[in-house]
Amino acid sequence: MNEPENTRWHNLIALSAPTFTGDDAPPYGFVTSTMARLREETRQVELAERIGMRALFASLALLFITAMVTLGLQYHDRSDLEPGLRGIVQVENVQLS
Amino acid sequence: MDQSIDVADCLHRWKAGDEGAAEQLILHLHPVISRIVRTHLPRRDHEDDLIQEILMKTFSRLHQYKADAPLTHWVSRLAVTTCLDRLRAQKIRPELRCADLTPEETDIFDRAELENHTRDAADVIQARDLVDKLLSTLPVEDRRLILMVDLEGRSLEEISHSTGWGISKIKMRLFRIRGQLRKTMDKLEKRT
Repeated sequence: MNEPENTRWHNLIALSAPTFTGDDAPPYGFVTSTMARLREETRQVELAERIGMRALFASLALLFITAMVTLGLQYHDRSDLEPGLRGIVQVENVQLS
Repeated sequence: MDQSIDVADCLHRWKAGDEGAAEQLILHLHPVISRIVRTHLPRRDHEDDLIQEILMKTFSRLHQYKADAPLTHWVSRLAVTTCLDRLRAQKIRPELRCADLTPEETDIFDRAELENHTRDAADVIQARDLVDKLLSTLPVEDRRLILMVDLEGRSLEEISHSTGWGISKIKMRLFRIRGQLRKTMDKLEKRT
């Protein structure tokens, strides 16, 4: 498994090595622009969270209202007849259970 | 624990909304991220944008950081993953031809055969561009592996620890990568 040394490759890597080292300090303006982006992203996240919470509360409220209306209709359905039908029931004195 | 700043204090202050703490963290983490980005990505890529992207990811995931290891280690892993994802998104060039090199890169390629040739700043840049082109013919994991060995001088044990690969797998892979690089360089030498 011993491949002969690739001198050219190793020389290229050695020659280019300084370009692989990082900077000790960020370039001018980097921190400011990063902070601006960070603020903006934090704002977006907070906004998304607020919208999400509002949507959740609105859904819960809608669910509650729907449940209440459904229950209400279920209890009032028996007397909630159409006017014509109600007239017949009154005239004939039909007992509604 | 990181030495230059009190990371725990900075994290605490940042969570409490102190922007000064965020600035301190940015200054503290920038050298680490900058080195990783330079190692993993071609020179011409927009490194500041990527460093900023990694910092944004860092701040958005800080709640996942457990203080059982230094923050720089945690951020390094995040930076490497982001760089590798970026590289995967780029198209791999399966073959490098002589025509793909600039005259300056061809010159550097010819001179690189000699051990001790003079170096100036332009040579260093040309050599880096040439190395980037050679690396672009390799899959992302192979590129990372060869740089860990030949550039960073890491031992096989260290690589095994950081990648989770067995030593024999690393050796086999290195053998294959070196063979592929040699093949590419032989082709360039023959001016094909």
